[in-house]
Amino acid sequence: MSLRWRAIWVVATVVLFGYYALANFASEEARIDSPLLPDNDLRLGLDLRGGIHWVIGVKLGATEEHELSFLKGLLEDELERENVVVGKIDIVDQKLRVETFTNEARAAVRDWIGDSDQIVEVGSDPELVTLELSDLRREQVREQGMSQVLEVLRRRIDDPMKGIPDSVVTQQGDDRVLVQIPGGSVDRTRAREMLRVTGFLEFKIVLDTAPTEELLRDKYPDGVLPEDTTIAFERDKETDRVLAAYLVRKEADLTGDYLTDARPGFDNQQRPQVDFSFNPAGGELFQALTEANIEERLAIILDDRVYSAPTIRSRIATRGTISGRFTVDEASDLSVILRAGSLSVPVVIEEERTVGPALGADSIRQGVTAMVVGLAAIVLFMTFYYRLSGLYACVALVVNLLLLVGVMSMFEATLTLPGLAGMVLTVGMAVDANVLIFERIREELRAHKTPRAAISTGFNKAFLTIMDANITTLGTAIVLYNYGTGPIKGFAVTLSIGVVTSVFAALVVTRLLFSTYPGDRHVESLSI
Amino acid sequence: MPFEFVPPGTHIDFIGKRRITTAISIAVLLAGVIAIPINGVKLGIDFQGGTEVQVLFADQVDAAEGAIRSVIGACGIAAASVVRYGEAEGREFLIRFQEGAVATAEGGGCQLTPEQEQAIERAKLAGGGGGDEGEKGETIDKLAYALGNEIGPLEVERVEFVGPRVGSELRSDGIRSLVVACLLILIYIAFRFTARFAPGAVIALVHDIGITAGIFVIFGLEFDLRVLAALLAILGYSLNDTIIIYDRIRENMALRTKFDLVDVLNQSVNQTLARTVLTSGTTMVAVLALWLLGGEVIRPFAIAMAIGIVVGTYSSIFIASPTLLFLERRFAGASTGAAPEAAASSRREAPPRRDASAIKPKRNKKRRS
Repeated sequence: MSLRWRAIWVVATVVLFGYYALANFASEEARIDSPLLPDNDLRLGLDLRGGIHWVIGVKLGATEEHELSFLKGLLEDELERENVVVGKIDIVDQKLRVETFTNEARAAVRDWIGDSDQIVEVGSDPELVTLELSDLRREQVREQGMSQVLEVLRRRIDDPMKGIPDSVVTQQGDDRVLVQIPGGSVDRTRAREMLRVTGFLEFKIVLDTAPTEELLRDKYPDGVLPEDTTIAFERDKETDRVLAAYLVRKEADLTGDYLTDARPGFDNQQRPQVDFSFNPAGGELFQALTEANIEERLAIILDDRVYSAPTIRSRIATRGTISGRFTVDEASDLSVILRAGSLSVPVVIEEERTVGPALGADSIRQGVTAMVVGLAAIVLFMTFYYRLSGLYACVALVVNLLLLVGVMSMFEATLTLPGLAGMVLTVGMAVDANVLIFERIREELRAHKTPRAAISTGFNKAFLTIMDANITTLGTAIVLYNYGTGPIKGFAVTLSIGVVTSVFAALVVTRLLFSTYPGDRHVESLSI
Repeated sequence: MPFEFVPPGTHIDFIGKRRITTAISIAVLLAGVIAIPINGVKLGIDFQGGTEVQVLFADQVDAAEGAIRSVIGACGIAAASVVRYGEAEGREFLIRFQEGAVATAEGGGCQLTPEQEQAIERAKLAGGGGGDEGEKGETIDKLAYALGNEIGPLEVERVEFVGPRVGSELRSDGIRSLVVACLLILIYIAFRFTARFAPGAVIALVHDIGITAGIFVIFGLEFDLRVLAALLAILGYSLNDTIIIYDRIRENMALRTKFDLVDVLNQSVNQTLARTVLTSGTTMVAVLALWLLGGEVIRPFAIAMAIGIVVGTYSSIFIASPTLLFLERRFAGASTGAAPEAAASSRREAPPRRDASAIKPKRNKKRRS
């Protein structure tokens, strides 16, 4: 590549990333208003901007036990119907134990299991049939538990419309949820309220309906709704657009407190439906409600949002079904909603890292001070020690920082406090490549090479060494990235990007500077 | 003349001092091991679980450790440590306690207003509970409220809580990450150099980690995620140093057909000495800036890094090269040999350049002088 093209290429790279890096200093309003400024910016980790970082452990054992107790109910019904007498049936350590004193009883229980793929017999105590969820079923139940917890937390916390801006809820591993609430403006106690996994589920008879609020209000004189009524909306899950507005009473006709279970199922024509059950008290209320409102619609409202409004076809007591033109997925989603409003999957905070906004701002200030002081000391030293060449190295160092911040901004990487420390460390280590090159050039000069030959040999000989040294650093950074949690990952990120940018700065940028001086001129000595 | 720390032609007999330096290293390592039962290995909450709360009282509040401790005790937390922290004229405190220290009883002495009680009640996590897996998060809230009520307005600046399950996972993952990093390095060196070079580099790395960790134990400093990150960065840094010297050794071996390994090692270390000193210096400057100006939170990282830079630089000179010599003598059977040289040169990507061979006689002369 000719020198000119090399220069253009390097300058273009530096300008591009420099632009991304410097854009971070513009105010947010300016960035939004100006078409010239990029939308991508450097994300600050919660330890710098303040915020709550929670790792929530979900106790899925409890959902397994709940499933077993559901099966226990079915077994009890079955045995009653068959007039089989058994001893105590209980659930211990996620196992269902049935005391059987007679061979008939044992046979009846085994008969009931049949070739079910949900439950398997374990253990061989003659007086005791011990049952356990099959691996397949256990897997399903655990997944359901997780999706229930995620459903509730997502809706409250990282919902794009109603949640907390920029917050994140993600599954971590099999049984953990990572919750990140930025800003530090949310009080810890209040934030913890959002972790209560049970949603607020209500059943309300639909009094009137229309596609939008305006159309619904138009039906009433002056848009005034009847007394004690309110409007509940059904919204699109993705876009939050209103799909339907329902006029319902303010008071719930029935709440989810009475609901004991909900699961997707099929009707006798194999159409998907949702089966649910109430406890006896709820059953009575529900029976009265449905009896009085046959052919009316029943809105199922979770946390003030209508999820479904099926028509009541018949009187329903403790066990009912919601049918409609569901797909299997929709039936399963609805049952997740219902369960979210009834079952509580126990959760615990397994890890917390909360930083107040003031401390975060302090950390940024201190980290930047350390970086500026370190940078200044190194710049002074390098210019003193290597003179003009040292100045080249300093230009490379500043370019390196610009690239590092620019690349991180472009990819919207997160800068954490350890990441900031990694940047300071990068400043210290980045000159290494230049030191290697300069020492080589000095050696070549001592061997009475011409300055030009010394520069070229110096760069060539140092090249492989620099590569070797940096690839291994990159390797340890990648190991750290894979291991690290939260902030530490940020250290690995800056370290790895810093390795790449510092190699570029040292090898390409410094080389280019040497091409401008001495370049093709015949100089007697180098300033090195 | 250019300014130079290490004048050209410097020839220090580093390798000749290998017995002394090996003895020093072993002594420091042993001191670290001996300190383990005496001082105990202090683990931060990252690795053993626990709670850390950093609070800052408002300007006019006169807060004392004793008063804070008694409020904590009243809230049912035994054996909490309270230390002054940071630079905020003694108004900033770090409170730490273990999960086990939280009494299961409600801690009736905790002075809360009814509103605060209600807020905590509302936020109670359903089901599950504290115990062995995690906590419901109330303990910290209660404590913060009680401190605010009884001592004065305060801001909770930082809360870190690590449950025992997460703690033990971080502990085992942390050790695994160090081992994996060492293995990867071993493979890379064996691939890029010859297999004979690899053990020296890895022994140097284990040495660095061992001594840095040992110094932490001796001075009763705590291990946490930040220190682990520093240890991994030290791995990378020390390896950097070692590889640069190894590269020179390989280059110098390829330059001649017959050589004395001790001479080659000494020559290589000396040739790269200026660079070693300079880079350690600039990195140290950056780390010291971090140590002194970077704030309390990042200080453990900076301390570990600073120790690691010194130890890593030392080990590249005094440990990695002598190990190479030891292995060559032990397994190649001779101190001079063509075998390693042949192997080394066949591995080189590029054949020795013409300009490189041109300076060969000069170097040899220098070595003899």
